Parts: sequence; C-alpha cells; structure tokens
Amino acid sequence: MNVVFAVKQYISKMIEDSGPGMKVLLMDKETTGIVSMVYTQSEILQKEVYLFERIDSQNREIMKHLKAICFLRPTKENVDYLIQELRRPKYSIYFIYFSNVISKSDVKSLAEADEQEVVAEVQEFYGDYIAVNPHLFSLNILGCCQGRNWDPVQLSRTTQGLTALLLSLKKCPMIRYQLSSEAAKRLAECVKQVITKEYELFEFRRTEVPPLLLILDRCDDAITPLLNQWTYQAMVHELLGINNNRIDLSRVPGISKDLREVVLSAENDEFYANNMHLNFAEIGSNIKNLMEDFQKKKPKEQQKLESIADMKAFVENYPQFKKMSGTVSKHVTVVGELSRLVSERNLLEVSEVEQELACQNDHSSALQNVKRLLQNPRVTEFDAARLVMLYALHYERHSSNSLPGLMMDLRNKGVSEKYRKLVSAVIEYGGKRVRGSDLFSPKDAVAITKQFLKGLKGVENVYTQHQPFLHETLDHLIKGKLKENLYPYLGPSTLRDRPQDIIVFIIGGATYEEALTVYNLNRTTPGVRIVLGGTTVHNTKSFLDEVLASGLHSRSKETSQVTSRSASRR
Amino acid sequence: MWEPQELGAMRSHLSDFKKHRAARIDHYVVEVNKLIIRLEKLTAFDRTNTESAKIRAIEKSVVPWVNDQDVPFCPDCGNKFSIRNRRHHCRLCGSIMCKKCMELISLPLANKLTSASKDSLSTHTSPSQSPNSVHGSRRGSISSVSSVSSVLDEKDDDRIRCCTHCKDTLLKREQQIDEKEHTPDIVKLYEKLRLCMEKVDQKAPEYIKMAASLNAGETTYSLEHASDLRVEVQKVYELIDALSKKILTLDLKQDPPPHPNTLRLQRMIRYSATLFVQEKLLGLMSLPTKEQFEELKKKRKQEIERKRILERQAALESQRRLEERRSDLASRATNGEVVPPRRGPAPLRKAEGWLPLSEGQRQSEDPDPLLQQIHNITSFIRQAKAADRTDEVLMLQENLRQLQDEYDQQQTEKAIELSRRQAEEEDLQREQLQVLREREWEREQGQAASLHTRTRSLDFREIRPFQLEPGREPRTHLAHALDLGSSPAQSSTATKTSPPSLAPEPFRGWSGSPALGQEFLPQSTPSQRSEAPSLNPFDEEEDLASPSAEGTASPPAPEPSLGPPARLLREYNPFEEEEEEEAVAGNPFARPDSPAPNPFDEEDEPPPRTPASLPVPGNPFEEAPCTNPFEEDSDGGQEGAEPIEEELLLQQIDNIKAYIFDAKQCGRLDEVEVLTENLRELKRTLAKQKGGSD
Repeated sequence: MNVVFAVKQYISKMIEDSGPGMKVLLMDKETTGIVSMVYTQSEILQKEVYLFERIDSQNREIMKHLKAICFLRPTKENVDYLIQELRRPKYSIYFIYFSNVISKSDVKSLAEADEQEVVAEVQEFYGDYIAVNPHLFSLNILGCCQGRNWDPVQLSRTTQGLTALLLSLKKCPMIRYQLSSEAAKRLAECVKQVITKEYELFEFRRTEVPPLLLILDRCDDAITPLLNQWTYQAMVHELLGINNNRIDLSRVPGISKDLREVVLSAENDEFYANNMHLNFAEIGSNIKNLMEDFQKKKPKEQQKLESIADMKAFVENYPQFKKMSGTVSKHVTVVGELSRLVSERNLLEVSEVEQELACQNDHSSALQNVKRLLQNPRVTEFDAARLVMLYALHYERHSSNSLPGLMMDLRNKGVSEKYRKLVSAVIEYGGKRVRGSDLFSPKDAVAITKQFLKGLKGVENVYTQHQPFLHETLDHLIKGKLKENLYPYLGPSTLRDRPQDIIVFIIGGATYEEALTVYNLNRTTPGVRIVLGGTTVHNTKSFLDEVLASGLHSRSKETSQVTSRSASRR
Repeated sequence: MWEPQELGAMRSHLSDFKKHRAARIDHYVVEVNKLIIRLEKLTAFDRTNTESAKIRAIEKSVVPWVNDQDVPFCPDCGNKFSIRNRRHHCRLCGSIMCKKCMELISLPLANKLTSASKDSLSTHTSPSQSPNSVHGSRRGSISSVSSVSSVLDEKDDDRIRCCTHCKDTLLKREQQIDEKEHTPDIVKLYEKLRLCMEKVDQKAPEYIKMAASLNAGETTYSLEHASDLRVEVQKVYELIDALSKKILTLDLKQDPPPHPNTLRLQRMIRYSATLFVQEKLLGLMSLPTKEQFEELKKKRKQEIERKRILERQAALESQRRLEERRSDLASRATNGEVVPPRRGPAPLRKAEGWLPLSEGQRQSEDPDPLLQQIHNITSFIRQAKAADRTDEVLMLQENLRQLQDEYDQQQTEKAIELSRRQAEEEDLQREQLQVLREREWEREQGQAASLHTRTRSLDFREIRPFQLEPGREPRTHLAHALDLGSSPAQSSTATKTSPPSLAPEPFRGWSGSPALGQEFLPQSTPSQRSEAPSLNPFDEEEDLASPSAEGTASPPAPEPSLGPPARLLREYNPFEEEEEEEAVAGNPFARPDSPAPNPFDEEDEPPPRTPASLPVPGNPFEEAPCTNPFEEDSDGGQEGAEPIEEELLLQQIDNIKAYIFDAKQCGRLDEVEVLTENLRELKRTLAKQKGGSD
C-alpha cells in the first residue's frame, strides 16, 4: 500500500502506452498537482514528454507532430474543453485518461466530437488524489464543511478521491466511521454507495482479512494541528508551509533568486527521504555531515585543473557535484530558516508549554506558564493565540478555568481580533461538546501509569511528548479493541479478525505528526499496513483557516462577547 | 517496507467510444466523399473551352439545383433575394445563397483534393457507400428548372462556386491531406536524435563491459576493438549533441518567430538530450593505454597465478593432511616391523616426501577443508559469473573440478584408511613385542650408548630445549621421515640436495656450530645423529667392511632401532604436529641445508664418514652404505624381526598399490612413478628376504 507508487505506476503506464515519439501531457489544474508529486520534470523528460500543457490554456499552438496524453479529472469543464480540442485537434493523436469514473454520456459526446479520429485511447486511471508520502495522501481541500455538515461539492470530491484511492490500491474495504461526526457517517455512506454502484470495478482478489476504511473527523482531535512540530517534514510544513512538495522561501530574508521556491520530494532527494522523519536536532547534525561531505567533494577554487586526469575527475564528478550542491544549498537554507524562526519566535519555550498543555493535567502550572509566555514580547500573536486555544481546549470544563483572563491578556498583548475570535471558534470546532471520545484524560489505569512513567523518565524529548490521538485509535484498531459503539461499522458485516490493511481518512485534514505516527506504526507492527489520508494536510495556520471556513465562528461570536463581557465585569 | 504492488484498477471506455465515433464518422466521411466525387465530376472536363450553357448543364447533372422559388431568403445571411441580390447555386450541393455568402474553389485546390482522395478514398470511405451511389441533395429539393438569374451569372472559368459549408468541409480535408504529407523539420531531426540515443543505449553497455574487462587486465576483448567502439560511441554522442543543438535553434531566425510553445519544445528536447549525454557519457569509463594494458595484463596474470596457487595449496593442504593421517598409520605399521625394506630409501624419501607435502600448508583446522574449498569456489564462480568474467569462471571451474576429484579421492581414502586401522591394531600388539626386543638390544649397547647419550643430550638442549630425551627424539624424526617416505608425492630435486646436508649435520651438531641453527636442521639432523654418529665411533672398522658384506641385506638391519620410535611416535605426537607445521615451509627445509654441507664436508668431515653418509642420498640404489651403520647394531634383532617383516612387507605392497591406484585416478603421474618405484623396491626386498630366509 504505497500511494506514491500507485500514482506513479499509472502515469508511467500512460506514457508507455503512447509509444515512442514526442509527447505533450495535457492536464488540468488538479492533475498537474497529482503528477508533479510523483514525477520530476527530468524524470518525465526521459520518457519523451517534452511539454506540459493545461487543457484550459488558450495559447496552445497546433503541433501535429506531437502525441497528446490527456490526464484529466472527469469534470464537466474538462469534458467541454476536450470536446473543443477534439473538434479542432492540435496534436496528431490523443490518449485520454480520466482520473476517475466518467459517465457514459460524456464518453458519447467526446466520441461524437472526434470526427477526425484522433483519439486512440479512453481510459479511467484512478490517480485522483495527491500522494504526499508513500503512506499519506491528501485531496488538497481546504474548508470541507459548512458548520458540521459537508459542503456538497467537497463531499463529492472527497468521495471521488477516496474511491479512487481504494481502486488504485485495489482494495474493497469494510467501512467504519466516527459516530460522533455526522460528516464521517455521510462520507462513509457515499463511499459505500460508489462501491455498490461500481461493483464491477471493486471486484478484486479477496484477501483473507478484508481491508478496512476508517473515517474520522478532525474535530475529535483539534489539539494535534495546533502544536508546533519538531520533525523535519512536519516542522517545515508548520513554519514554512508545504504545498504539493513545494516550499515558498521568498519571504526568507536575503534569499537568493533560485531558492525562492524549493521542492522537497522524498522521491528524488535522498537527504530529505532519510531525514524527513527525524527531529530537528538530528537534522542539524546530519546537515553538518552533508556539508562536510560536500566540502570534500567540492573542487577547491585554488585547485588548478592541471592534468587531464584532474579535468576528467572534475568533469566526472561535476553533475553529481552540481546535484549535491543543489541539495546542500536547499537544505541548508531551509534548516537555517527554521532555526532562525525558532529563535526569533522563541519556539522552544512555546513548544514546551504547548506540550505541557497537550499532555499533562496540571492546571495551575499550565496556566502559570501560559500567562508567563503571554507576557513575553518575543512570542508572536499567532503563538500566543494557539497557546490560549490549547488551554481552552484542555481546561474547557475545568472548575477554575480562567480563559476570560487569558483572553484579556491576549487583548492586552495586542493580539488581533481575528485570532481572539478563533479561540472560541476552535472550541466550537473541537471542544468537549463535539468530541466523541476523551482526548485528554486517559481512562484506564494502565494509560495513567504509562503517563506517569513517562513523566518520571524525564521524557525523552520535552518537545515531542505528544502522541496524536490517532495513535491510540489505531492502536486499539490493530488490537481489535476499538469500541464499536464509538466507531461503528457501516452495514451489517463486521471484521472478525484484526485488520491488516487499514486506510484512515480524516475529514478536515490530517497532519504530518499523524503521518509520522502512521509511519512508525507501519514500521513497528508487522503484518499491518496503514495509509493515512485527509481532505488536506494541515499545519496550524491552515487548520485555523479550516476552522474559519467552517463558519463556526459566527456562532462563537456570542461566546466571545460573553467572554469580553465577563472580562469587563471584573 | 513496501511489498511489490500491482498496477491499480483501470477501466477502458475505448470500445464504447469507438462505437459512438464510428456512427458519427460514417456520417462525416460520407459527406466529405460525396463532395469530392462531385468536385471530380465538375473538374473532369475542360472548363475554359466549354460554353457556359454546357457547363451549366453538366453542373446541373452533377447535383440537382434547388428551386429558386423555394428560397426567398439567403439561408446563411438572411437577406431577401431580389434583382440586385441574386441567387447563386452551390455547385457541390445545389443549395442557394447570395453572392456575399458564396465561396469559390480554385481548380488547383480541386485537383489537389480529388487526386489525394483517390489514394485515400478507400481507407476513408466506409463500405456502406460507393463513389457511384446517388445521394439526395443536401438541401432536399429536386428541381432542375434553371433560374433566370443563373443565366445572367458571369462565367467562371477556373473556379467552382460553392457554399461556405461545402468549402469548410473541403478545407478541413485539405488540411488533413497537408498534414499527412508534411513532416516538419523538427520531426526529422528528432527521429535522427532518437535513433542515435537508441544506438547509445545499445552500444554503451557493451562498451562498458569491455572497458571494465580490459581495465581489469582481462584479455577477453581486444583493446583495439574496444577503442574503436569507444570512438564510435563518442561520435554518436557528438551527433546527439549536434542534432539537439540544431533542434534548439530551428527556425529561430524566422519571421515571425515561432510560437513560444514550439521554442519550449525545442528547448526541452535539447535539455533532455543534454541530460542523456551527461548521464551516459560520464558513465563511459576510459580505456587503458597500450602500456597500461600490458601492465594490467601482467598484474592480472600474477593475480590469477596467486589465486590458483592459493587454491591449489588449500586443496593440497587438505589432501596432505589426509595423507599424513594415512601415512601416520602406515608408518606406525611400518615402524612396527617392516622397516627393513624401506630402510635404504628412507632418508631420501624423507626429503622427497616433504616437498610436495609442505607445499600444502596447514592454514586452517576446518573439519573438512576440501568441502569448504569447494564451497568457496562455487561462490567465487557465482560472483565471477555475475561480474561477467568468463575467463575467471573457466579457471575457477577447472579448479572446482580438481577439488571435487580430490574430494572423491579423499572419500575413497577414508575407506581405505578404515580398513587399515584394523591392521594397525594388530601392529600395536606387535610393537609391544618390539619394545621388549629393543630393551634387550639396549642392554647390549648399554655401555657405548651411555657415553654418547650424554654428549648428545647436551647438544640437543642447546638446540631444542624440549628434547629431553635425545635418544628418542631423533628417532621420532626418523620415524617421521619414514612416514613421509611413504607419501606418494615426491620430488627428485630435493633428494639430491638435502641428503648431503643431512650427512654433515651431525658434525655441525657436534661442533656446536649454531650458524645453521635453522629450525629444520635440528629436526632433521637428529635423525642422522641418533644413529650414524653414535655408531660410527664404534663401528668404523665394521663400517668399512659391512657395506660390501651386507649390501642388499641391509633393510632388515635397523629394524630393532626402530622399535622405540614406533612407540615414541605415539607419545610425541604433539611434536610431530609441530614439525609438520614447521615443515610446511617446505622447500626451505631442503634448500638452506644444501649450501651448508660443502664447507663442512671439506673441513670437518672425517674421511671414514664419507662412504657412509654421502652415497646414501646421492644414489638411492646404493643402499648399503647408508644402512651400514645400523646393520651392526641390529645384528641381534634381525632374526626375530624377520617373520613379521614379511607380513608387513606384503601389507605395505598392498598399500602402495592402493596409492598408485589413487594417484593414477587423479592423474598425478609423478607420484605414480615414484610409487611404482617404491613398489618395485618393496617387491625386490620381499623377494630377497624370501630368498634369504628360505
């Protein structure tokens, strides 16, 4: 169950099937992203694909000596574009691949447009999702819900993405969903509907234990996306933002022109692949090694290329050197920027308190620490707001909850109203009233002891104490202990054995911290393969946008008014 | 972490698509073909020299014209027809339009269209229609009444009037024809480029294989051939570079400049060609120069030689150990009783025997080194095969075969050995008897021996501190020497060099000269010392006489003296092991000695010694002198020993026969030779003995 490989295989197959000759890849906005996640330009160039065009681009020239490979989502617009294209074909021959199920009527209208018989292939290749990591996929949907319910457009897109994922991995799963979330139930039903409708497509070789699709809702764990991260991939996303493997560095002070946007792809960046799951300290030393290694290989400027042998050695090492220098400068820049941000924003201290808020139950100490940090001028309004959000989520119903006081502190600190409103919006989004399970206090004695022991051990790393709630859920699922009253099966049949192939989908977005959890579970649990997906992959900022987009803040306005009123009463 | 994953699900709509398309295409193709057939008819006659009326008649016959009255407005622009705005008929479909909406088709275009479709008609026409079939007019009406307005039309000599719809269809068709015939430059260049790349893909691995092999000093490929190939591949690279450059600059100076996408395409092709060259060309390793190659070849030869020797040694070593064990047993048997026949040749065998044996070194104590060796070589072969080193594979396979032979032999030997063990047990009992006999002899020799033992012991302590029992130790060696004598592998050169050294050594020993204190000397010398020197002082007179007298009868003589060695052999096994290890060094054993003897021979050696010692090694057939010293002592024991000897002799003969068989099987001809000689001797001795005793 490697989603990157699954998509890559589809793309390779398309290109291979078109035979030799110059080719152009015709895509839409979304499929461009899908392809770019699994193939680099130079990689695809070697397969004779020289041009990449958008189907909606008007400025396309007639190039009859090119073959066109069309990889498109089966949307109405795309079909219309394609019909126009076929009426006046710009390329000699067309290989058409839709990333999902296309209706018979669309096929018919396309066929009728192809008067010049330029179409050689019409297929469905289910690469209809963004493959981020081998075990992580996303649909890049921000704001999938309105209030507590699906935005119908996004529901249909999510259903398509999820069914495409199942088809690309050849899994016909049983479905479980989070009972507390209406959206989860709705999505489960939609997926089931597609499976039933396209039963022919979902006829795969039966495995002994059927695969399992678990649908969760972000609102059950609003803590994880609010935390600062310290593993490379998660940290880069949190502090710089990863968008389809691309990182925008244009705001980095003194950045050179060619580093304004860099690509971090585990597929063709060995350093990244090896380090994406390591923590910041380890990255630091690895970067140093990388640099030293590079320095060794770097041709000394003084070194004269005197003999032919020198020159030959130089030339032979040159491409490797060039590639390495690209990698080195990229990672050095990224890590440099990360550490700059960490110290500028005082993130170590912030993160320590965040972790305390997320993992420990000492209210007074937590409150004290939050208050202390709110006074610190180096803590940004963003971080201040997130600390208060974490506090609010954890001690929402605590007897001596002093959220109003903290809100006051925020206001005094000069935190903008947008963020202050978001505090209540987050509680509205993921507060106790919404959650189906207890996010904070471990229920059984064993867990308490575990927590206690963890505390005693002095904690391996203060900044990475937090385990996402997903870990517990998956752990229970793997052990067959996940409660059916909280996560019921859709339909009458239930899984008797422990699940082996698990696809977890989080409505409202997954996080890289959760991806890391899944990565580690995959590594440490033999026989179990887990793929994580989400409507998107969040960092704190995008999560807050998601909360904002859900429109829950409108209702929470009253809450904030109440808050301010109570504050003013003091 | 990731298991193999099959391609995800997919679904094809092609057949559906084709079905729908076919329906539509039929319609479209029919339309086009209809127009072209009519066009053909309209251009089939000489328009310029035909009257307009006649042309009109022909035109009307091609397609029925729509009745003027039926069309009051222009169907395309909607203007009302009048005297001013007259009706025009499309000659291709018969429909009516106004002058503004009228299109014209020039004769060249018409010709182009009709001639092109003659070839392609068959492919583009669906079977349902034939060119001659009559179709209804496009706009339906079937009136052949000519309109007044039409008569007033100007005559078109070289153009055919038609409506926009027909013209459109025909222009599309023209475009198709153009595209079919036209291949843009970029495609031509690109095709060449791809051909070159394919060539590289095909040749480069071949070259890399060659270069790797040559750089390793192998001679599978010729250097000239490889460098030719290199030049060829490099030329292709240059061609790729040139072609891609040409593609890059194609039409760049044209006016207007090409579409940005065209430029982008050209850039990308160039880029990918550069990538290709970078990736592949840099992987192209260089070839050694001629001189370097010669050197490499030499190096490799040495390497192979070394390997071969190592392997051979390993094989031999294991073989030797087997033989040791075997000869051990044999020697026990021999020492026990038989010795006489071997007496003579023994000293030389000792030296001979060591040589080939010592070649095989004891390197490891593996339970079955042969098997391990075989295993190793099999894995070497695998590796070599993987590395495509054919000559090495061949060599290794040869080695493997040898080893396997050896292993087989070893197995047979084991069987033989087993049977021998029984005999050995009997021997042990006999040895007991021997011991008794020896004591008797010792008593007799008591006085004389004691003196020498003392001197000797001193001497031995100097050289080998652990030899506390000088009397025994040397014998052990002797026994050992005898063991070795029975071993099949022998070299004749050593025979000549070492024995002389053995003879003088005693003197060296006595004179305490440490110069020759090589480890081997003390070991080998005692064997002589123990007997020869000790006897000489006493028996010089006898010595002189005995050679002639005892001559051939000598073999049985030393027998009693060998009784103790046989016993000691068991006691001293640890030494034996050590000595073997030292002896492993092999040739040095004989060589360092050889230069030594001369000075001693000349300076120290007393005249009486010479006849006794020197002839021994020099000429194997002159057994008498060498054995002489012993004969005197052994006089007493001789009779007692004889009956057993005979028995053992026979056994020995059997043994040797078995060795010969083995050696023959393994093709070790030199061994066979030596063994046969040995056998002959044994038989002779046996015959003599029989003759003597009878």
